[in-house]
Amino acid sequence: MGEAAASLPVPYTSVFGPVPTVVSGFAGPFGVRSLELILQTFANAAYAASYLALVAVGLVLIFGVMGIVNFAHGELYMLGAYATFYFYSEQQMSFLVAVALGLVLVGAFGLLIERGLFRPLRDNPLGGLIASIGLLLCLQAAAALEFGTKKKPVVAPTQEILTLLPGVTLPWTRVYVILVAVGLLTALWIFLKRSKFGWALRACAQDPEAAALQGISMNQTARLAMFIGAGMAGVAGALTAPLVEPEPHMGHGIIVAAFIVIIVGGIGSLGGAVIAAVLYALVQTFVTTYWNGVMADIVGLLLMLIVLVVKPAGLFGVKDRA
Amino acid sequence: MSIELIKRRLSRRRFIQSTATGAALAGAGIGLAGPVRAEGEAIKIGFLAPLTGDVAAWGAPGLYGCQIWAERVNANGGVIIDGRRHPVEFVAFDNEYSAAKARTGAQKLIEDDGVKFIMMLGGDTMPPVVDISNRTGMLVSTLLPSDLTPETPLLIAPAEVHPIYNVTGVAWLGENKPDLKTAMICAQDDALGRPSVATYLAAFEAAGIDVIEEPLFFDISTTDFAPIMTRMMASDPDIICLDTAYTDYVHPLCEQAFLQGYKGQILSCTMDFYDQVVAKTSKEFMEGVIFQFPDFDDPKMNNPQINFQDPGGFYNEYNRRFPGEWGAVSWEYASIMDLWKAAAESANSAEPEAVLAAMKGTGTGAQCFGEARWWGKELFGIDNALVGNWPVVAIDDGVARIQEFRSIPAWWDRHKDLLIKHMEAMGEMYYQRI
Repeated sequence: MGEAAASLPVPYTSVFGPVPTVVSGFAGPFGVRSLELILQTFANAAYAASYLALVAVGLVLIFGVMGIVNFAHGELYMLGAYATFYFYSEQQMSFLVAVALGLVLVGAFGLLIERGLFRPLRDNPLGGLIASIGLLLCLQAAAALEFGTKKKPVVAPTQEILTLLPGVTLPWTRVYVILVAVGLLTALWIFLKRSKFGWALRACAQDPEAAALQGISMNQTARLAMFIGAGMAGVAGALTAPLVEPEPHMGHGIIVAAFIVIIVGGIGSLGGAVIAAVLYALVQTFVTTYWNGVMADIVGLLLMLIVLVVKPAGLFGVKDRA
Repeated sequence: MSIELIKRRLSRRRFIQSTATGAALAGAGIGLAGPVRAEGEAIKIGFLAPLTGDVAAWGAPGLYGCQIWAERVNANGGVIIDGRRHPVEFVAFDNEYSAAKARTGAQKLIEDDGVKFIMMLGGDTMPPVVDISNRTGMLVSTLLPSDLTPETPLLIAPAEVHPIYNVTGVAWLGENKPDLKTAMICAQDDALGRPSVATYLAAFEAAGIDVIEEPLFFDISTTDFAPIMTRMMASDPDIICLDTAYTDYVHPLCEQAFLQGYKGQILSCTMDFYDQVVAKTSKEFMEGVIFQFPDFDDPKMNNPQINFQDPGGFYNEYNRRFPGEWGAVSWEYASIMDLWKAAAESANSAEPEAVLAAMKGTGTGAQCFGEARWWGKELFGIDNALVGNWPVVAIDDGVARIQEFRSIPAWWDRHKDLLIKHMEAMGEMYYQRI
């Protein structure tokens, strides 16, 4: 290692005065304060919000159009991560090509799921939910058999750091995630608002029967929703593979977070999912930084509980699925 | 071997090849490669550890080491009891680091498989197995002496004295890098992390190094370590201590330290698969990182006090058979088996009670890194941990190299009050755990 840090830290106090200590000799949870730390925490949260929003929006889209709670959505994220491992680490393709392949292949896999699993169960939401749990287990087992149970190391495509402000930095690998998430979510928003396919998707989400009476094909819109939803989960996994490293059970954590996000945002609300992802990521990151990671999980769940009590349909949800 | 093993390996083919070879060598004396053939009934040993899941890195590599150990021992005639040579056969059960599955596994190994000894990682999976062990009289080993209490008379910690050996790394730093004055600790919030934090706190205090904030605990489901490293670095510590974090946490924590520009000293209990961390950071960044587990081809492993047969040959064979799998526990379960074999032959019996009596009879034992004593009454309420010297390892030009073997009992004799104080503060003393 290089030279040791030169100076000792300044004793800390909170805005309420001296901080009580849990164990004698230590500062309390809010001891470390500086503008740099706050801004760095915002930067860290931006990354967390980005990949979480991609996953959550895909989950909302599938639920909105098909009415199926896809518990295997975390495993689609996992497949995307393995796509990067395979194409980028194993086959030596460029990182961006591997990410693009992750999006397309996982999206295509979504089409297979829609046709083989969810379409026959379209009128049976409980059956769809159980089928998705079965799919989740199958995908985990398949990944374990093919790639093993250990995490697969994926060397980051770059070690370059982006300096946002003095003392506030983000590795470019994280910046990529933020940029792609913003780009894809913006494109999705434009697609939904401006294109006929987007209108059809929204119509099916609002009232499938009325949409069908207008000549909109449910099968076609379901395929589209599944491709986009799965592809977004896939690209999130593919982009974050160098940061989290693929392993068969990596979908578990992300699906729990994604469910919290869509419940807070309002089930069926795409905008709500994005805003809730940002909110959840901010809470998680700030509590982890200023308190600890264990409390962050508790606070995240408390956030969901409070929203459910105060506004049972979520921040942007309506009573009926839409 | 049980079907659970099929799940654990990266490559099915490699697993099947290796276990088929091991089983052929171990089974009934057929196809023994060595010069002496074991003729007695096979002695079954239970391997009840996480072979899949987040903690698999501290289970599965140990089983591979046991396979090599069994082949070596069986090729030389196995375990000699009453003049008969018995081959040793390992029966594995993947507990996935789940207490419920550990209970099921212990019952299966004892009742269905008839094992004579069970080796475990320990920690969160140990409490249900202790109940079964006490009821059935089964001898069980753990890698985590913090599992020991006065209520665990049949539980032994003969290979590693986690987390107490972590004091050696801190003491070495205190003596060799006296300019390091401050430290920050992070740890996962579980049965492995907490006692280790208490140990590091005591070791830092003994070395005159200030821990400048409360240890930063994180949940075991954490996947994004950037906020944790941001918080650690905000206090500008000379040392960032990763405690006994699992491999899946150590790697991203090191990577985050690198990406966020940390320039100080990194200290960790383990650094399994450190070559991957070097690849994700740089040789320069990892230079001097201190941890506690050596590669067995280290020249210092040929020192005369080492109680491990042909460590270099074992290491090379391991890496040939299981490339990229060498880690902290690769040798530990095999080392426990050395101790068990010596005790069984001394007792002329594989029965748990007789083996335990033979193991502890003299009050000392041949631990891997030298002669050690059965110890632990003050810390665990029972003298069932074998404690002696432990290596301090540093990354040197991208390779792990032993810096020194240091005495844990010597540290304990000088600073035991500190360790007990911090263990009590963390609620980890045996009388607080039972």
